[in-house]
Amino acid sequence: MNPIQDLWQSIVRRDPLSTDKGKSELVFLNVWLHIHPAKVKRENLKLKHTWYLGFITFFLFLILVTTGVALMFYYRPNAPQAYQDVKDLQFVVFLGPFLRNMHRWAAHGMVISVFFHMCRVFYTGSYKRPRQFNWMIGVFLFLVTLGLSFTGYLLPWDQLAFWAITVGTNIGSYAPLVGKQLRELLLGGHSVGEAALLRFYVLHVAVLPGVMVLLTMVHFWRVRKDGGLSRPVWKLEPEKAEKLVTIGAPEAPAPLSVALASKDKTYGLMEVVTGKPIFETVTAEEEEDTTFSYPYAFFREAVALMATVTGVMAISLFWNAPLEELANPAKTPNPAKAPWYFLGLQELVSHSALLGGVVVPALAVLALLAVPYLDTNPSRRPADRKWANRAFTIFVVVNVVLIVVGTFFRGPGWALVAPWTHISGAE
Amino acid sequence: MKRRSFIGWGTAGLAALWSAVGVSLGAVVRFLTPSVYYEPPQTFKIGNPSDFPLGPPTFLADEKIFVFRDRDKGFAVASAVCTHLGCTVGYSQSDERFHCPCHGSVFGANGAVQHGPAPRPLEWFEVTLARDGQLSVDKDKVVPAAYRLMVER
Repeated sequence: MNPIQDLWQSIVRRDPLSTDKGKSELVFLNVWLHIHPAKVKRENLKLKHTWYLGFITFFLFLILVTTGVALMFYYRPNAPQAYQDVKDLQFVVFLGPFLRNMHRWAAHGMVISVFFHMCRVFYTGSYKRPRQFNWMIGVFLFLVTLGLSFTGYLLPWDQLAFWAITVGTNIGSYAPLVGKQLRELLLGGHSVGEAALLRFYVLHVAVLPGVMVLLTMVHFWRVRKDGGLSRPVWKLEPEKAEKLVTIGAPEAPAPLSVALASKDKTYGLMEVVTGKPIFETVTAEEEEDTTFSYPYAFFREAVALMATVTGVMAISLFWNAPLEELANPAKTPNPAKAPWYFLGLQELVSHSALLGGVVVPALAVLALLAVPYLDTNPSRRPADRKWANRAFTIFVVVNVVLIVVGTFFRGPGWALVAPWTHISGAE
Repeated sequence: MKRRSFIGWGTAGLAALWSAVGVSLGAVVRFLTPSVYYEPPQTFKIGNPSDFPLGPPTFLADEKIFVFRDRDKGFAVASAVCTHLGCTVGYSQSDERFHCPCHGSVFGANGAVQHGPAPRPLEWFEVTLARDGQLSVDKDKVVPAAYRLMVER
C-alpha cells in the first residue's frame, strides 16, 4: 500500500470502496448513519406529518451558535461598553448587522418553531407510550429556549433590554419563599446592573447552551430508542396498525410472541436488568415500508437545513434587529414591554403579579409536563382524542390571544389601544 | 460481605454522598451570592433644604426618589419604584398622582394604590438633616406616609 492510500485509510478508517468490506464499512463506520437508523419508515419522510419542525428547530440552534460565536468577538459584557459594542456591530463591523439580524431572527424563529413542534407532537399524539419521557425533555428544551432568549435579550443593554429584564426578573420575585433570593442570585444585585449583565452573559453563552446541548442529545437519543419518529398510525392500513405493538408495554403482552426475534431484543443492562425493553416496533412484514436513511432522509434533512438558513438570511437582509437608546434606569419607556414571547405573561401580570406571573405559568408548565401521564387514552387517532385536542387548542389559542393583546393592543400605561394608534414617544 | 455490614456501609456511603451533594449545592448558591455589592449606597445626601421648591415634588433620577416639600416646610421622600414590577413611576401634576408606565398602576399623592395591579403602596423613606445642613435619605428605613421632616428656616 502506498503512503497516500495509507494516510487516506487512516482518516476514513475503512477499506477501499472497491471491496465489499469497504462498501459496508462506509455505512457502518459513518457517524451520521450512527445517529440515524440505517433505514427509516417511509411515512416519516413525509412533509405533512412532521413539517420537519424538530429539524428546523435544531438548525436554527446551529445558526444561533454560529452567529452567536461570531458576535462574541466584538462584544464586552460591561455597561455601558456593551451598548457601544452592539452599536459598533450595527454600524461599523463588516457584516455586523447581518450577523446580529440572523442571531435575533433565528432566536425568535426558534421560539416559534419549538412551539409549533410541540403542537405537532401533541396533535399527532406522539407523546404517548413509549415516548412520554421524551415529551418531558421537550418541555424542558422549550423552557431552556425561552431562558436563552430572555438572557440574550439583556445583552444589547438598550432601553428595551433593560426594562424587559427589570420587569421579567421582578415577575420571578413574586415566587413564594424563594422569589426575592432567586432574583438577587440571578442579578447578582438588587437591581438590573453591571453584575446582572455579566451573569446573563455567562448564562447565555455558556451555561444554558450547555444544558441545551445535553438535553438535545438526550432528546435525539430517545427518539431513536423509542422507536424512531412517530407515524400517523391511523393512516396505515388497519391490519398493519393492529400489528403495531409496543414491545414490553404491559397492556400489549400478546404480540410479544409475534414479534420476530431480531426485533425482540433483550438488553442485559448492568447485569441487573431483565425483561424486554419498551419500544415501538412492528413485525417484519413492514420492511417494505422502509427506505434507506442515506440518501433519502439525508437529502430531505439537507433541504430543510438549506431552507432554514436561506429563510433566516433572507429575513436578515430586509429587516434589522431593533436597537434603542442606551439603558437608562431612571426613565421607564412608556409602554415598557417584555420580549414578545413573554407579553402573554406580562398581560397576565398586569392583572395580578402573583397569580399571573407565578401561579398560572407554573401550573401551565406542570400541566405540560404531566400531559403524557394524564392522557391515558392509548389511541393516537385524532378521531379518538377529540377532547385532548380541543383542550390543547384552547391552550394554544389563549397563549396566542394573550400575546397578540400584549403586543398590539397595549399602549401607554398598559391601557387598551387599537393597534393602529400612533403612540408618540414610542419607538 | 455480611448483609448487616453491607447495609451499614451502604447507608453510611449514601448519607456521605448526599451530604456532599447538599454541601456542594449550598456552596454554589453562596458562591453566586455576592459578598460585596458594587451598588449605590442606600444612605445618601441629596442637597440643602433650600434646593427644593415648594409645590410639585422634585424627581431625583439617579436615586429614583421624589422629594416633597410641603408649604409648612415639611420634607418627605417617596420611592419612585413601582411596587408591582419595579418600573419607575412618574408624577403627574394635573391629577397629583403617580402613574406607572408598565402596567398602569396609579398611586395617590400619599402613595396609596388607587388603581392597577400594584400590591403595595409606594414606599416612603426616612429623611433627616445631616450635620452639614444637607438632607440625608436612608432607603433602608421605610417610614409611614405621614412622616415629615420639619426644617426651621
